[in-house]
Amino acid sequence: MNPYLPQRYQVLGFTRESPDTFTLTVNMRSKPAPGQFVQVSVPGVGEAPISICSDSRSHIKLNIREIGNVTKALSKKRKGDALWIRGPYGKGYPMKELEGKNLILIGGGCGVAPLKGVIDFIEHHRSRYRDIRLFLGYRSPDEILFKKELKEWRKKYQLEVTIDQNQHGAFCYDAKVGFVTEAIKKAPLDPHASVAFLCGPPVMMKASIDLLKQKGFGERQIFVSAERLMYCALGVCCHCMIRGKFTCVDGPVFRYDEIGAYAHD
Amino acid sequence: MRLYRLEKKRFAEFIGRLMLDAEVIAPVKKDVVRFLPIAHPEEVHLEKNAFFPLKEYFFPQNQTLFQFDGKSFMAQVPKPKKRVFFGVRRCDLTAIRHQDIAFGEAGDPYYEAMRKSSLLIGYHCPKAPSPYCFCGSLPQIEYFDLMFFDQQTHFLIETGSGEGEKAVEEHAEVFVPAETPKPDTKIPGADRLHVGNIAPLYDHPDWKKGVDLCLSCGACTALCPTCYCFEIHDELSTADLSAGKRSRSWSSCQLPGFTRVAGDHVFRKEREHRFKHRIYHQLEYFKEKHGVPLCVGCGRCIEACPTRIDFVKLLNGMKA
Amino acid sequence: MTKLKVGIYGITGCAGCQLSVIFNEDELLDLIEVVDLKAFPFIKEVNPDEQYDLIFLEGLVADKGDLEAAKKLRKNAKILVALGACAVTGCVPAYRNFTLKQNYEHLLYRKIRELQDVQPTPVDMHVRVDYYLPGCPPDKRQILAFIKGAVKGAIPRPTDNPVCVECRQNGNACLLEIGKPCLGPITAGGCNAVCVNGGLECWGCRGPTKDMNLPLMISLLKRKGFDEKFIQDRMRTFAGLKLPMLKEVLHGKNHHA
Repeated sequence: MNPYLPQRYQVLGFTRESPDTFTLTVNMRSKPAPGQFVQVSVPGVGEAPISICSDSRSHIKLNIREIGNVTKALSKKRKGDALWIRGPYGKGYPMKELEGKNLILIGGGCGVAPLKGVIDFIEHHRSRYRDIRLFLGYRSPDEILFKKELKEWRKKYQLEVTIDQNQHGAFCYDAKVGFVTEAIKKAPLDPHASVAFLCGPPVMMKASIDLLKQKGFGERQIFVSAERLMYCALGVCCHCMIRGKFTCVDGPVFRYDEIGAYAHD
Repeated sequence: MRLYRLEKKRFAEFIGRLMLDAEVIAPVKKDVVRFLPIAHPEEVHLEKNAFFPLKEYFFPQNQTLFQFDGKSFMAQVPKPKKRVFFGVRRCDLTAIRHQDIAFGEAGDPYYEAMRKSSLLIGYHCPKAPSPYCFCGSLPQIEYFDLMFFDQQTHFLIETGSGEGEKAVEEHAEVFVPAETPKPDTKIPGADRLHVGNIAPLYDHPDWKKGVDLCLSCGACTALCPTCYCFEIHDELSTADLSAGKRSRSWSSCQLPGFTRVAGDHVFRKEREHRFKHRIYHQLEYFKEKHGVPLCVGCGRCIEACPTRIDFVKLLNGMKA
Repeated sequence: MTKLKVGIYGITGCAGCQLSVIFNEDELLDLIEVVDLKAFPFIKEVNPDEQYDLIFLEGLVADKGDLEAAKKLRKNAKILVALGACAVTGCVPAYRNFTLKQNYEHLLYRKIRELQDVQPTPVDMHVRVDYYLPGCPPDKRQILAFIKGAVKGAIPRPTDNPVCVECRQNGNACLLEIGKPCLGPITAGGCNAVCVNGGLECWGCRGPTKDMNLPLMISLLKRKGFDEKFIQDRMRTFAGLKLPMLKEVLHGKNHHA
């Protein structure tokens, strides 16, 4: 079996999430762990690693930001179109090990996508976890992802949505204006029996981790999802290496003590 | 393991026999010494090691992985003919071993195909062939089919695998079993590196001395026999824009683009971080995963560096 | 699918860069199936002055006519591509910025001397440029890849690796080692190191890389025996205007090695 060979799948649906992000549903059957990713190909354009933002064996959902050539090409895919994928790859969040814990999910921008996979997993296994808190930060109301799901999440979990600025005063899902870190600071977070999952831009992750540490969280209670340039996703091309760890096979989810401060460089 | 003897006057005959049913690739003296397919046994040059490593024969600079036509991807796994690599020094043999590990772990069929049906015949350095050598400071791992020891009038040949034994049997006329003990495998003058564990040195101020001399030109990684990083790109056919090929080419961690993600964020932007990344991958990170350093001490990255950054001296100085 | 409408134009230059497009002989016929090559004054008689998806502009701005042409083509183009070294860096003609008038005046044709000239400058000093295809001449495969990418909506990222990367992959021995003043380490590649493959050192026609270590390159050349005047002249030959810091670095005390 050629591990570089992508398989052909079909797009089941396209949803526009924000001006520059969208979600594709694909008929790929797999058993992904929350936090895992796939390599999506557009022949002639290239491949891009995309995290899975669903928890299902019958299909996968991919939330994608139009930022490079591959993702721009993917934004033109619609129901019925072919899609080339290999994977899933990497280590996701260790959901099994963390049963019985309080989970704090902190996401920024399109970093919310892998956490959506975690949330879906929790929905399917709600009794295994205790309190669930979500902190989701976006730059503006337009950029808020998973707007439909947010309403459900608000009913079930302690949810804080922040937006850096709200210029046109749009209705924005009870989001507060400010950085997500301000919401974390104010929240009464008890490090006992709790773990935090983070995914987002490097600056936001670093600031959030500093805050968690101030609140008494140890590095072993913090899990981060890293983003790196990847070609092979097999642990050989080396582009995604963080101090000797391959983001593609040892990650993309790392316990913070495994990569520590290097997560940001 | 067995020992045989080959008289030097029969050396050309032996190489000639190998050439009958295989392509023989050996060090040849051109503008610099290079591993090249030879046309005559006399071309084999054993005084100096090849300036460029052997890796392009297993991991080419550019390699097509797939052709695609809009409907499917068709793998382009190569099928090289039988190849004999002669005159490969211990450092380069160990380098092949390490690339075997790296590509093997990923189950890379392209590398595997290129490595298949290749016979590795080593040449033991009587002394360090270059002032930059430091293989003696790193673990020496026996990884060959045959190993040639130069004994002035003759070669002593050690077999290192079943394939090697078979090669000796096939050419039994030129070999005589040798009753001597196995020669010393130490290479004089090749133990320059005096630091075993570089992990505590990451924040040492002396790294700057090396970084200031770095052009980030990527010569070190291109000439390294172990560096195996690559990138993958697609190319479109002009006649049919839904068709084309996907290929991989060598990459270098010394370049800013190596860690650039969509949106233009570069993770290892600073020259210093890129510079240290190579040394740490070579001496530390690979060891954490596979128990041995990736670096084999051939010294090519120093010899080929336009400013001769000698990271061995640099590290030795940090320890002192 | 409507074809991309393409124009290929030249201002002051030698037309070699436009020729590089044509040098894709084996694929040219396929290419004109893929795009609508509407304007190419170099080989076509009728070249309508209208809106284009893609305009390639060869040459630098050296007189008022060039300037007007560049402004008009910018208006006509959705994507304006600077084609070749003159358009990208100013190339050899821009060397005039670094020499006195009496050094070249006698070389001018009498008629030209009366022309109203502009200080010779690359296109992006006058109008916005969306993409650069550097090189004297530009690499024909890169031109082709760019056009195909534009059609596909996936424009390739410009190379910012130094020439050395391709040079070493091609198995060349380093020309600096034999005392040639090769500028490969500070020059953007993508040319497949074509000069060094043929034994000629890199003169830097594709312009400097963003990541170049200029002080080190200068001190290395000095150590190889080249004096400051030689280094300055050589570095200014193809990309002087893209190295505004050259003089300061050359004479500065911030030297390594």
